Amino acid sequence: MSGSLFTRLLALGLSVAPLLAHADGKSPWPQTPSKDKERFEPVPMPPGFQIVVTEQEGPVFADARGHTLYTWPVRQLRNGPVGERKGAPSCDGTKYTENAGLMSPYPGGFELPEVATRPSCIDIWPVVTAAADAEPVGKFTVVKRADGLSQWAYDGYALYTSVLDDQPGEVNGAHSLAAGEVGVRKPAEAPSMVPPQFKVDTNLVGRILLTEDKYAVYASSQDTAGQSNCKGACLDQWAPIEAPAYAKARGEFGILERSPGIRQWTFRKQPLYTHIGEPMMKMYGSDVPGWYNVYEQFTPKPPADFTVQNSPSGLVLADRAGKTVYMYNCADDALDQLACDNPDSPQIYRFTVCGGGDPKRCLERFPYVAVSQGVTSDNLLWTAMWIDPMSGKRAQPHAPGALYVWAYRKRPVYTHYRDQGPGDERADQWGEFYGYRNGYKAFWLRSDFGRGG
Amino acid sequence: MSNMNERSSRFAIKASVRGLAAVALLPLLLDGTVIAAAPPAPAAAAPEVASSDDKDWAPPGGRIGYVLWDEVSWGLRETPDKQECPHGFNIGPREQFSEEFPKDGKKRTLAETQLKREAAIWDPDTTPDEFPFYEATGKYAIGVNLDGKDTPEDFESDDGRKGIDNQLFRVVGCIRNYRKEGELGIITTKWRAQKPFNRVTFELSGVDSLKNDPDVTVSYYRTLDTLLAGPTGNYLPGGSQRIDERWGKRFIISAKGHIVDGVLETEPFKEIQVPEDGMGDPAINIFRSAQLRLKLTPKSAEGVLAGFIDVEQWYYAMNTSWATHHAAYGQASAASIYKALRRLADGYPDPETGQNTAISGAMDMRLTQVYVIHQEEDSAAAAQ
Repeated sequence: MSGSLFTRLLALGLSVAPLLAHADGKSPWPQTPSKDKERFEPVPMPPGFQIVVTEQEGPVFADARGHTLYTWPVRQLRNGPVGERKGAPSCDGTKYTENAGLMSPYPGGFELPEVATRPSCIDIWPVVTAAADAEPVGKFTVVKRADGLSQWAYDGYALYTSVLDDQPGEVNGAHSLAAGEVGVRKPAEAPSMVPPQFKVDTNLVGRILLTEDKYAVYASSQDTAGQSNCKGACLDQWAPIEAPAYAKARGEFGILERSPGIRQWTFRKQPLYTHIGEPMMKMYGSDVPGWYNVYEQFTPKPPADFTVQNSPSGLVLADRAGKTVYMYNCADDALDQLACDNPDSPQIYRFTVCGGGDPKRCLERFPYVAVSQGVTSDNLLWTAMWIDPMSGKRAQPHAPGALYVWAYRKRPVYTHYRDQGPGDERADQWGEFYGYRNGYKAFWLRSDFGRGG
Repeated sequence: MSNMNERSSRFAIKASVRGLAAVALLPLLLDGTVIAAAPPAPAAAAPEVASSDDKDWAPPGGRIGYVLWDEVSWGLRETPDKQECPHGFNIGPREQFSEEFPKDGKKRTLAETQLKREAAIWDPDTTPDEFPFYEATGKYAIGVNLDGKDTPEDFESDDGRKGIDNQLFRVVGCIRNYRKEGELGIITTKWRAQKPFNRVTFELSGVDSLKNDPDVTVSYYRTLDTLLAGPTGNYLPGGSQRIDERWGKRFIISAKGHIVDGVLETEPFKEIQVPEDGMGDPAINIFRSAQLRLKLTPKSAEGVLAGFIDVEQWYYAMNTSWATHHAAYGQASAASIYKALRRLADGYPDPETGQNTAISGAMDMRLTQVYVIHQEEDSAAAAQ
């Protein structure tokens, strides 16, 4: 074999290797995750705006500092809507003092926790202001606020940044992936560079490629770059994703010709398939040896203090001992729906559901995941922080009683005292509204059954 | 591109064809959770189902499966005039909140109202209830004599069996949510039939007669396939169910049983875990010393799964994993239910505290016949 051919084949092999998603048999991450990032469509933006490819959500719009931009689309809660309609921003300087009664069965009119220091909506969600003479660009428009300010909007929705984001690429203003009964803010996602037959979805492992009708997309380790080896009986289980005659290669998506006139999509040169018989949004095909889900990019692997476990529902993140890891979700019941899920927000909500208001009971029932000596994180999603467990708030390093714990998007993560062995999930929806409004959800990496994945 | 239903149907047909030509070996191959294993059976042909339930009949290969599709109730024996609830029904979260915090113009905080109630739900205790709680009463109940005794707190079945253990009936019998008109009664059947997490199947093997057989083996699996829906909200026999060996290993267990006059009774399973996916958030109920009592026909089975039900896990699966909003539809106050559960718990005392950790109860259920597809036979058929 000539040196140049060997070099080309080696390069080709390396280019497709990062897609292998089951190298260690259990973890949904490859042993050496690809550093490839999701590509996005070039779109016109106002001066000073940019697109940042974030670790979990992929490409999002950002301001000149690289801080993620968010919208707050209207959402119907049990007793009324929250959020903003197109062209009508409502996040303002009002400091709400009472709950709104949006969450059945509880009425409104009760004084909110920490009311004296409760911030306003725009204290937490700074307005992305536009100059008085700003002109619309593409989907970016300018809306006039009730307070007289001009504000940038994307696709009609007013844009904000989050005080929880300090660095470019952080998306700490968004948290729960399945918001359930909470009026959450959403990062303003930039369009992915995918053909119309595909879409990209976010899970906690990465940006997974789906067909436009939400079936998982697969690739095979038996294929080579630009060539499908799935023939005969293989086609009983795997359906090549055919490209119509008018489709053209674009970005990392290419087209191969399986047989005259029959064209198949490829991604990073790997032929693409769906798994016949598999329901929407499932990942069953990745259990078949040699087949794997296709990700546009992977989220960084969690630090070495974490493991991945099988559970009756799917793959779940766990601590070193195999105990399921839980995230805490919370939004308060005021009209501005401020988050109460991070250490800088009121802790009384969490203390209520984890220990009847008693921080000591919370510590017993939902202990933090401690940072082991020498274990570090190399990414923005996972950070270590000092926490005072009695207040639930941040502590000075090495302060008496303070714990050094893992946090995901700057929210500590927890285990649960009733889980006894790997895969137990006895607090997956612990708290109000299935753990989404004020409660805990398991850290699902693959959920074949629930809605947590 | 095919839609989901078309895909599922194609796969199910294929799996069914394979399964009909194969045998079941899985219980022999699994770990210690299996306490009895079935021997390999000869290849089963499509059954010639008896035309009448009164005829004796043996399933092909001595095997027959039944998939659970209707979680009728948590062992509630309801009478038309509500004799079991002489004091009426219990009030729920909405009414309790209104009683405790009336609209009297007094300024209150969220902490002393809503969060106080939420604390009582997610950190419940056994202190006396602030509200009256009406237990179901009477002589009769659904269930099984789990402990072989007939004590004053036990019930009698409608067919005259004494010593029926069903203290859970006392807890939930007068709560609307758990009765036929309650939300649970309506939607748990829907969930049981529709949600894949909830799919469980019993398979009988070594069956020489579906009328009388002194020695059969009953294996329990979480299975994977959709049910064959009938046109009137029922589910049809003749479908197939593949065993979930990827995520469902913890569910697999077997026990011995016998059939008398068409009624299957089993020896206690050490523990049966019943998946209970409500609003898309899976939980699991645990029946300890579980026993089946099912009336069998070639096409269906109905009866109870009885046992000592883990109190904390039942409370979580049926109460705190829900939203208070939905519990309020059926006037189910989780905090009051917890106190009653702990007060009436009658099994599995904690070795340290002596407090009972389980409560006798029963799941009243209906099942339909299916062919259980074991992985080995599926693989063998595929290889051929």
